[in-house]
Amino acid sequence: MRFVILLYGDEVAEAALPKEQLQEIVRQHGALGTKLAADGKMINGEGLLPSETATTLRDGVVSDGPYAESREQLGGLYIVDCVDLDEALDIARQVPPSPGLVVEVRPAMS
Amino acid sequence: MGMEFLLLIHGAEEAWERATDEQRRQTYAEYEEFGAALARAGVKVTGGAELAASGSAAIVRGRGPGAVVTDGPFTEAREQFGGFYAIDVDSRAEAVEWAKRLPAEIVEVRGTVQP
Repeated sequence: MRFVILLYGDEVAEAALPKEQLQEIVRQHGALGTKLAADGKMINGEGLLPSETATTLRDGVVSDGPYAESREQLGGLYIVDCVDLDEALDIARQVPPSPGLVVEVRPAMS
Repeated sequence: MGMEFLLLIHGAEEAWERATDEQRRQTYAEYEEFGAALARAGVKVTGGAELAASGSAAIVRGRGPGAVVTDGPFTEAREQFGGFYAIDVDSRAEAVEWAKRLPAEIVEVRGTVQP
């Protein structure tokens, strides 16, 4: 089964982190991706640029900024191949910590 | 190699739940046509997924054995994240043009961090 692991975080707090700390978080994500790939679990991973760079279309009308103006924004995602939800949750527990991180795990349609 | 953008699709799940089989077939056909149009234009699709309904979501807060897992999506908004395309295009404007062609209520176009 495919699962999508959505990473929501506090962008304001992330932006305030020292550069070295941000680089360390990115490095840990890289390590997790490498490990998942080695285990044959990794399908895809994406790190998103900050939501302020987003362009949103609502019923065809284009505006600057993200769809939701909340402090917590989608910051990245993993798509993983797992036998069941428990295995996906186990991966979700390994996501490196970052400010305000909340991880949502959702099955993907086949 | 151009730039990668995600087309993040949000929509009202209740409308999808209420939709008839015929309406769902129609929507899936429109998505298929979207995919075919990308292929015809030679746009590389670098990723994507259609997510199951948000009611099937689980939330994990914290890390390791002490992490707390709860049911349900992170946001209780009317519109829920339902899926995405990752496409490789030359510009944001081009990504927005593709987003306009999606049969979706709300599409957020966001660039990605390149390794």
